[in-house]
Amino acid sequence: MALNDFLKLGTKALEKALKIGADNAEVFLLNARDFNIQVANQNIDTIKLAEERGLGIRVFKDRRMGFSYTSDLNDTAVDRVVEQALANSLNTAHDEYLTLAEKMENYPTLDLFDQEISQKSVEEKIELAKEIENYAKKYDSRIKITERAAYEDSQYEIWIMNSLGLNGYYQGAYCGGYALVVGEEKGENQTGFGMQYSLKYKSLNPEIIGTDAGRRAVRLLGATSISSQKAPIVLEPYIATNFLGIISPALSAEAVDKGKSFFKGKTNKRVASDLVTLIDDGQMDDRVLSAPFDGEGVPTSKTVLVEQGVLKGYMHNTYTAKKAGLKSTGNGVRGSYRSTPEVGSTNFYLAPGEIDPQQMIKEIDKGLYVTDVMGMHTANPISGDFSLGASGIWIENGELTRPVRGIAIAGNLQELLGNIDGVSNDLTFFVGKGAPTIKINNISISGS
Amino acid sequence: MDKKQLKEILDTALLNGGDFAEIFIEHKETTSIGCEDRKIERINSGIDAGAGIRVISGDSTAYAFTNILTEKSLQALAQVTSKAAKSGKNKSAIDFTTPKPLVEFNIELRPDKVSVEEKVEKVKAADTAARSVDEKIQQVSVGYGDVRQNITIANSEGIFVEDERIRTRFICNAIASDGSSIQTGFSSLGGTQGFEIFKERDPKEMGIESAQRALLMLSAKPCPSGKMAVVMASEAGGTMVHEACGHGLEADLVQKSLSVYAKKRGQKVASDLVTVIDDATMPYKYGSFRYDDEGTVGQKNVLIKNGVLENYMYDRLTAGKEGRKSSGNGRRESYKERPIPRMTNTYIASGKDEPEDIIKSTKKGILVRKMGGGQVNTTNGDYVFDVAEGYLIENGEITSAVKGATLAGNGPDTLQMVEMVGNDLGFAIGTCGKEGQGAPVSDAQPTMKIKELTVGGTGGNGPEINRDFKIRRM
Repeated sequence: MALNDFLKLGTKALEKALKIGADNAEVFLLNARDFNIQVANQNIDTIKLAEERGLGIRVFKDRRMGFSYTSDLNDTAVDRVVEQALANSLNTAHDEYLTLAEKMENYPTLDLFDQEISQKSVEEKIELAKEIENYAKKYDSRIKITERAAYEDSQYEIWIMNSLGLNGYYQGAYCGGYALVVGEEKGENQTGFGMQYSLKYKSLNPEIIGTDAGRRAVRLLGATSISSQKAPIVLEPYIATNFLGIISPALSAEAVDKGKSFFKGKTNKRVASDLVTLIDDGQMDDRVLSAPFDGEGVPTSKTVLVEQGVLKGYMHNTYTAKKAGLKSTGNGVRGSYRSTPEVGSTNFYLAPGEIDPQQMIKEIDKGLYVTDVMGMHTANPISGDFSLGASGIWIENGELTRPVRGIAIAGNLQELLGNIDGVSNDLTFFVGKGAPTIKINNISISGS
Repeated sequence: MDKKQLKEILDTALLNGGDFAEIFIEHKETTSIGCEDRKIERINSGIDAGAGIRVISGDSTAYAFTNILTEKSLQALAQVTSKAAKSGKNKSAIDFTTPKPLVEFNIELRPDKVSVEEKVEKVKAADTAARSVDEKIQQVSVGYGDVRQNITIANSEGIFVEDERIRTRFICNAIASDGSSIQTGFSSLGGTQGFEIFKERDPKEMGIESAQRALLMLSAKPCPSGKMAVVMASEAGGTMVHEACGHGLEADLVQKSLSVYAKKRGQKVASDLVTVIDDATMPYKYGSFRYDDEGTVGQKNVLIKNGVLENYMYDRLTAGKEGRKSSGNGRRESYKERPIPRMTNTYIASGKDEPEDIIKSTKKGILVRKMGGGQVNTTNGDYVFDVAEGYLIENGEITSAVKGATLAGNGPDTLQMVEMVGNDLGFAIGTCGKEGQGAPVSDAQPTMKIKELTVGGTGGNGPEINRDFKIRRM
């Protein structure tokens, strides 16, 4: 289908919805091509090519909303889902805050489509994945197994249009590489990974990805436990982003409205140490989740959620914004054409500080440099309670000394945010979440 | 698409050689209903249809999919995948045959024949019931979902399978707060069933159960930490078996030496009391099917028998590498993914002990009555899972409820430490994640006593990108 055909199809679906009785309607269309290559031991394990397209339609009738989607874009199927969406709306709750995004004259221009991603040959991409594996294996002779090394990319087009006259389109592409390798010593195995995702083919660096994976796979070999104690912990950026994965949903206005967030009722109050600034920015340069507009057609924006430890606001879509008497922050995120726009983060990060991570470690007498955690998805986003399995490297007299595992760190996210005592300057992104190395005081570490 | 056209597509896929070609065509219709804040917030339904073509050549797999289901587009797709092949035979089988399944599902009330109003009614009933339990119940969310998936699978070895799978699930989550603390409780139901699933369990009951669980946790004491005996009640579900050994018995991980159970066939890996079974043929369970996603008949596989590792779970690719037959565990989330070895309904078989005796025999320990989510690092076998409802056992008596407990252990160690196995069996449903693909599964276990686990949480390392083996309770 040509570009114009999608536009026509969307317009037709909108017209049909209004014709059969909807008060308002909104169409979302996706057209994507994905490529993925996985290698192990310099052989191609899997090569995958995908083309996907689909349409999702929200209809509004008497302030009730219905949704339906289809991957089949022929006229009959589209007609059927439009009717289904209207039928679905008859049974949902009346809600005066249900609304559509207003027409926009202009959207920000972002550099989201790197031609090179589509121009590079399959052979070159395979070579890149192989190089990643080579760098990982080269890092240390104890790297014995490659689970896989991979390159992947995606090129996509998105349309959104609604009956208020809103009409948006953009084209984007991203690429990434990663490796998962296993280090082996004396019958003990440890997995390590390295990854990079970018909007620019050129910025993928197989050496960094491979070396990271290799380093992570061997650094915990020979780990032992430690005795239970209270000590400061240092989270490397990846682990800090794991925590952000639990904190970010709690900053959605929807979670707050529904009493499902520990940030409820804390606007303009201190929620973290003054070193903590949390930002969601849908327009960042060279970030994979950047876009001119969100899943409702609202321009994305930079939203400071927590500024120097004080809660400034929440992430909104049009619904939560209207309810709160505010403007949408452009956080109406869609997982795909198969789902409705829900409040969600774009590029969500903890702003960097000034200190070097090495210097931060140097200033610690005794503490734990945390490199891996387990069970993060079991943390409770409502109460903030967490209990995690952890491993890492023990810090003594400012030096990283020996690997430790089989320990647990438990606590509460609210306390943890308050105890952040150092934020370094090495902000690193892992897809949609970014964080620098951080130091947290006074954590209960249970060991043997 | 008729058989002749499918054969032509397979021939194109093998044009440049290759050992195996397959086409998977899927048409899936779903309905989901969400209620929160006392409101039916969303009713979503839709169609997702597409096809994936796979060519295996030596150790390499080429996979491509499209959701344009015309013969022209599928031929083009076959062309793309054919390019990856280097050598091998290049003819598909002459005639298709359809294997006979070991189980049949009789769907009484197909979801497409039940009105949206009736579905909404069930959701509202659970919401009202949960909220009426206590004024401390501050929020309730209820979700209903049904899936009708029609698949066609044809491969160059002559397998042709058509099937329809119908699944229904229902979940109720309650949040209780007393002003200072917030706790959650959930209750879920799911099966390879239609709307008749609600004859089995009343949504009202599930609403009440989730609310009571949240309230109980509100009054619970913080869980003590340290090493102690753990009794898992049968109603706790089987997260432990899923994490402690299930993933590690999947042949892809075993073959890549990414599992602690690699190279252990025929060896003692668990206490004599432990028999682990994966069974896709259990009537109406959430992880059941007639055929897996490669057209292999779903079957019952004994993985560990009286403590001895008997078998791993295979798909075609991993089975082929060992000159075996697939065990019927090749599953995929949709036409967008290639199949990989996955669990279906996994359980530890019942033993001889009375559940009450198991509790009575415990001096000091934790009783787990409901498990939450979990995660495993298959490379070293370390796992964690959280306890959604737990109690202290003191001198053989269940005393107070405890909150915030996480259990951590090592799979092989835990299985060796099983001391008593009850004569009961209880199931739970979940969506298991592996390589980013979700699969409906159920798991089960009898009441069991494990000599010692770390309570409060401990574990090893596990990167959470692309290879996390998590199960989310739903």
